[in-house]
Order: sequence, then structure tokens, then C-alpha cells
Amino acid sequence: MNTENKRQLASRASASKDPPGWFTCGTISFTDPMGRRLLRGVTLQIDPPCLCVITGPSGSGKTSLLRAIVGLNKANVLERRLGDVIYPDKRLSEWRSKVTLLLQDAPCIPGTIEENLSFPFAFKNSGSHRFSRDEAIKLMEWVGLGHFGLSHSVDGFSGGERHRLSLVRGLVWAPPVLLADEPLAGLEPELAQKCFDLLLDFSRQRPAVVICVLHEERFAKQADLLFRLKDGTLHRT
Amino acid sequence: MGHYIELSAFDLFLAVGLIVIASGISLALQLGLTRSLAVAATRCMLQLGAIGLILKKIFQVNSPLLVLAWLALMLYMASREAVRRSRSKYKGIRLDALLTMTFTSLAVGLLVTQVVIKVRPWYDPQYVIPIFGMIFGNSLNGICLCLDRFLEYLRSRRREVELRLCFGATRQEAVIEGARQAVRTGMIPIINNMTVAGIVSLPGMMTGQIVAGASPVQAVAYQIVIMFMIAASNALGSMLLATLAARRLVSHYGVEIDSS
Repeated sequence: MNTENKRQLASRASASKDPPGWFTCGTISFTDPMGRRLLRGVTLQIDPPCLCVITGPSGSGKTSLLRAIVGLNKANVLERRLGDVIYPDKRLSEWRSKVTLLLQDAPCIPGTIEENLSFPFAFKNSGSHRFSRDEAIKLMEWVGLGHFGLSHSVDGFSGGERHRLSLVRGLVWAPPVLLADEPLAGLEPELAQKCFDLLLDFSRQRPAVVICVLHEERFAKQADLLFRLKDGTLHRT
Repeated sequence: MGHYIELSAFDLFLAVGLIVIASGISLALQLGLTRSLAVAATRCMLQLGAIGLILKKIFQVNSPLLVLAWLALMLYMASREAVRRSRSKYKGIRLDALLTMTFTSLAVGLLVTQVVIKVRPWYDPQYVIPIFGMIFGNSLNGICLCLDRFLEYLRSRRREVELRLCFGATRQEAVIEGARQAVRTGMIPIINNMTVAGIVSLPGMMTGQIVAGASPVQAVAYQIVIMFMIAASNALGSMLLATLAARRLVSHYGVEIDSS
């Protein structure tokens, strides 16, 4: 067995003790445009409910890993699976409607808060999902954006406000697997804890798999599963 | 057909006086345009002169093959010009522009010459060449505007496109807003032209026909056909080019266009 295969097996084992997991994505290998091999055969197999946190030094490939899971970079991914359903590359958009990534810089679309929260429900892949205004209002209040009202424009939102809006967008959409790339960036400690609790609750109630890339050590301790991404492989800690 | 006053070489020589006036102004105001004006005027005379001679020959020979060859050449030059004028480029832009212009001009041009005007024989150069020429020239403007707008959208709003993809949008759903804006931009000039036609300016073809002795009512009828034809070709061309560009520049991975 070559080193690469050993590494792949090591990652697989570290991700789940009893494969196959309900959410499976792997084996993922990725070399960035500068030629750095950021991911060397990573596999994630996770059953809901689970809040999984991935940490690691800057530039270790955490963002690349999340983007590879949803097919937003040219990583080599052997299999994407939810339960018994396998999603090949040509079904990526359907996969993303179920395994949804909250992007690191929390972009918005120009328009009102309501438009920003409800646009995914107009997509073909939204299926039977219906936008719930009540749920949206409740969540906006919880993250401290309630005073704006849904008809307020997102124009001029600060970084922290965009991150909270992005989090609410993900929770209103409520996919079975939610990936979040530094969702608490730029938030006050108290607010960050509230948002983290929201993700934890979501994983329990839906039940869902939530995978967060985080830097804050104190949240890492509250996770069900904690991985450290180092040298292109995941290490369970 | 009525009559028209033929221009002689001496008349053209007199017209050169008009360029002399323009050059005089350039010299007096130190605009530094005298040389450019002279070059432009010379090029204009040589190019149009050559076209006049070529068209005279094509009209004389009256062969369908020659007409088609001439149209193909015009088509090629127009698509090249469309790419040249576009402020930003991408790999494959030439082919996309050529495909768009070919399909648009064939669809609209055949409809106008064969169904509306009913040109007989079908290749009669007197009608086919000017009409296709107008489609090329005008759809070129439309698709240039559309392309610029669309590429600008993809560059400046690539994060939004990515955001939509993240929530399960298909590639079409992710860029439809940009395509809509681009096609709208491509359509604006012809809508403006149709709105002010006859009030602010007399359109070129109509003016030409009136000078050539056609009845104003017939000239107007032709002009209406031409305006509608340009509207159709702009709409079709813009939509097609936005679709082709989107196929090339937006993949499952997101927007693949340089941020420069």
C-alpha cells in the first residue's frame, strides 16, 4: 500500500468510526493554482445530528476543503453521497441545495433583507421548501438584526451584519447539511456565542450535519466532532 | 422609381472643400486633428470607392455564389469588429461572436428578404446586400454593448453568482440577472432610435431612398421594416451571445473569468 492510500485511510478513520456515514464526501484531493497540495485524500463521513468543527493554521486548506465539498473548486472528489443517493458532478446544483455552504466573506445580493433570505426558494432545486417569514423574523431578532425589518435594504451592511445575515439565510433554508466558513468572524464574543448556539440548536432540531471552519478555541470545545486540518489531512482531536 | 441627380467626379472634388473647412478649424484651434482628418478622409474615400466598384461588379455578375461570398466576408468582418470593440475579452470570444452574428443575421435577414420583402430572385444583390449589411452593422452595436455589460457583471458580481450557486442555483439561474441586464443594455439604442425616428432624425435608409427618388411613403414603409428588423436582431443577438458567454465563463465551479 502506498503512502497516499495509507493517508486516505487514516483520514477516513479519523472522520468516522462506523462508516458509511449518512453524509459522505471524499476522497478529496486538491492542489491549488500555485501548486501547493492542500488536501491529500480527505474523506468526511458524518451522521446527523452533529456539529463538527474544523480548525487548522491559516493557509492549511480549510476553506478549500469546504469549497471542494460543494464543488466550488477544481478538487478531485471521488464521491458525494447523502444516505443512499450518490450525486455525480452533473447533479452538483442539486447537491448544493442539500449541502449548502455559507461563504467566508458572506456576500449579499443587492436588495432587501427579505430578498436576500428568500431568493434560494425560487430555484428549481428548492423542491417543496417554502420561505417562512415568521421564522426569518425570529432568527433575525435572535442574531440582533431584528430592528431592521425584512424590507430594509442590505446596502451599507457591515461585515458583522453580513455574516449574521448569511447565517440566518442558511438557517431559514435549513438544508440537511450546512457548511459554514468562519461564520462568527467579526462578531462580539457574546453575539458569537449566540450564533454558535443557533448552529448547535439547528443541528439538534432538524437534525442536521453542521460543519464549521472556526478559529475560536472556545467553540471548538463545544463541538460534537473536532478535526484539525494539517498537512492536507484531517486529524480528530 | 423617380429620378435622382447624379454626382460627377468634380462634385466630389467640391465636397473635399468641406474637409478643408474642418481641417481649417483644427488648425485654428490647434486641435492637432489635421493629420487624422486627412487620413480618415482619404481612407473613407478609398474604402467607399473600392466598395462601390466591388458592388457594381457584384450587381453586374448577379451570381448567388458571389453574393453569398460577399455576405460571408461582411459577416466575418462584423464579428471581428464586435470583438475588437468589446472592452474586455475572454478565450473563445471570436467564435461566440461569429456564431451569434451568423445565426442572428440568417434568421432575421432571411425572414425580411424572403418573407417580408419577397426578393426575387432570392439573392438579388440590390436588396440582399444592403439589408444584410444593416443587420450586421446594427447587431454589432447591440451585441458589443450586451457583451460589455455581461462581462462587467460577471467580474464585479462574481461573489453573488457564487452565493446563488451555493444555494443550489443552476448555472442559468446563477447568472440570469446579469444576462437580463446585458440584453436590456443591448436593446436600449434601437428602442431609443425607434422612439425618436422621424422626429429628431430621418433614418439613413429612408433618407437615401427619398434622395434616390422613391416615394416618401414607400421609404417610410421600408424604414419601418428595417427598424423592426434591427430590434429583432439586437434582441436575438444579445440573448444568444449572453448565453454563449455564460456557457463558457460560468461553470459548476463558479465564474471563470480574470478579475482584471
